[in-house]
Amino acid sequence: MTRLGFDDVGFTYPGATVPALTGCSFAAGAGAVTWLTGALGAGTSTALLLAAGLAPMHTGGLRTGRIHTLGLDPAEDGAARALGGRVALVLSTPATQLSGIAETVAQEVAFAPANLGWPRDRIHAGVGRALEALAIPHLATRDPTTLSGGEMQRVVIAAMLVLEPELWLLDEPTSALDVDGRALLHRLLRSEALRGAAVVVASEDADGLATVADRLVVLTAGRVALDGVPQDLLRGDRIWDAGAGSTSIGTLARVAGVAAPRPLSVDEGVARWAR
Amino acid sequence: MNARLLALLPAAIAINLVIGGLVNALGLPLYLDSIGTILAAVLAGPAVGMLVGAIGQLLFGLINGYQWIPFGLIQLVIAALAGLAAAHGGFRSSSVTLAWGLLTGLVAGALSSVISYVLFKGVTATGTTAVVTLLRQLGWSLPVAVTASSLLLDLVDKAAAFLLVGALVRALPLRMMGRFPRAARAVGR
Amino acid sequence: MTLAPGALAARAHPFTPLVVTAAIAVAAIALPGAMATVALYAATVILVLATGAGRAALRALVPLAPLWLFLFLLHGVLGDGSRVTVAGLSLSRDGLTLAVTQGARLGAIATASLALYAAFSPARFVDAVAERGWPFSAAYLVVATLLALPRFRARAVVILEAQRSRGLRLRGSVINRIRAIGPVTFPLLLGALAEVDERGFALETRCAAGTVRRTALAPPADRMADRMVRWAAALSAGAAVVWRVFG
Repeated sequence: MTRLGFDDVGFTYPGATVPALTGCSFAAGAGAVTWLTGALGAGTSTALLLAAGLAPMHTGGLRTGRIHTLGLDPAEDGAARALGGRVALVLSTPATQLSGIAETVAQEVAFAPANLGWPRDRIHAGVGRALEALAIPHLATRDPTTLSGGEMQRVVIAAMLVLEPELWLLDEPTSALDVDGRALLHRLLRSEALRGAAVVVASEDADGLATVADRLVVLTAGRVALDGVPQDLLRGDRIWDAGAGSTSIGTLARVAGVAAPRPLSVDEGVARWAR
Repeated sequence: MNARLLALLPAAIAINLVIGGLVNALGLPLYLDSIGTILAAVLAGPAVGMLVGAIGQLLFGLINGYQWIPFGLIQLVIAALAGLAAAHGGFRSSSVTLAWGLLTGLVAGALSSVISYVLFKGVTATGTTAVVTLLRQLGWSLPVAVTASSLLLDLVDKAAAFLLVGALVRALPLRMMGRFPRAARAVGR
Repeated sequence: MTLAPGALAARAHPFTPLVVTAAIAVAAIALPGAMATVALYAATVILVLATGAGRAALRALVPLAPLWLFLFLLHGVLGDGSRVTVAGLSLSRDGLTLAVTQGARLGAIATASLALYAAFSPARFVDAVAERGWPFSAAYLVVATLLALPRFRARAVVILEAQRSRGLRLRGSVINRIRAIGPVTFPLLLGALAEVDERGFALETRCAAGTVRRTALAPPADRMADRMVRWAAALSAGAAVVWRVFG
């Protein structure tokens, strides 16, 4: 079941001469992790903002084409209310995503559910589970503004997880996280997909997402250049032509002159070249 | 009230209080406590500017003493004038901005002296009161001394504030300007 | 400024210190004459001490001292009317009375405000508003601003230091100090606007501007004592106004 659909979508920011997206079409289904990537400025962040309805509502600008998020056009009146609490948005800088009124991490994670009027018991239980899932129950009473970047990002993710969203939109969620945090997030993305959510993540972290994503969509200058199985695309040459890259091993192999299909992980490389 | 305003208002109010505090700490004979108000009026309209000014003044009163709250009326006037200026491209160049700033200073100064005299018999901010005391020493009557000092200070202060906000808005990157359509009109684009 | 542990001011329902402070402010402005206002100031200081916010009384003296001095100079020394000689100084009798009255007024208001600020707890306030079903936006704005202040101040200090290391002068002539304003406020303002962008996105997706009644996470107890104190404060303020108008 498609939870997010872009149909020939174009978008131009106000005052911009070049559109951020043109003729963009792709779909993200429930129970799957869809990975968006592209060169800097390719339009992945814009696509997520459009999916969340934040563009053009907050950003201004002109949108063409059709988008459906959980069956609704996110730019329409009333969509925001109907989608409230069902779409999770995680951006790359944690500090600016904090609510601004929470004195403890527990209050921060409880922010959205409280705004939605959930009963107190449900909120407390949900907050506890979300903190466990992000391995930060020990931070529950800490002031969120005193946390490290990685801890803060985990709090922000937990604050979305507590809602049990139907659609996840993540924009470079791992940039503030450490190695353990990244691994934890990737496991979380898979478990969310298993729960039945649709996960859309914009990321340049090919190493992390190669084994996590079910679908890879590559954007080039605002258009969909490639759309397919991540492992297949990462092994080939087309992804490089589209302006994106591969995993570390895949990149190394390409530089070393190995022809496609290239190995993507250390294990694959060893299997191929070990004598 | 929408989420965007919820994000903008606390920042604008904090700007009022923090820059005002900074100027105070620098020991300058200025207030510069309305920059947030003016900025909010330019970016989101006079009504939002008034909200910033009103809440800001209430919080200033909470922190520094309720005696300051009546001056919130002046913040409302500043927001109204800044919004008016913005609607007419009043920030398109520094000379036009200066003119609007001086006009606002005149109105604010007049209002401030009335409030200062009627409610506080002339004793409010240390800086102004020093000038008032000096003028009284020279034999001026209290109402005249209060009016003169308020006017002078407000003229300089509001002109400076308008110029600062004008320079900032003119320097905004294009994408940010797009988020705030009123700002584009304020600088004449 | 922190309160004494277990302070009454912190345990009260959040609306109680608010109403009491507002009542003191109204009474301070309404009460006529030096004796009444001085009595109010004394009562305020005692109240603040009794509820564990005693440090506010001391802290208030910082802005009050120069104001008191100016009141003395402006009205006591330079005032009109019949003179009286005190310790070799010729002072205006009426001016002195005015100075004392006004000084006590400001004293009561400043002391009460500072005590309120010390006793204010953002989370309890938000919960108290949510419990009553009042609009969350209003509570959010007040609390988010209060919590944003130290953050902005810290950022201003960082920018100040950074500009200082680039040669910005802060001491010296007035011109120098005026020149310092731009290089500090500009980055502060630009940074604030960029932050507003992303925070707006986050608040939208976390339904901060929704129309649903917000849940109070840990609603503060509204005891009988709280309600009685609030009513007593409001009635006293009302009485002060009546006295002023008809007395």
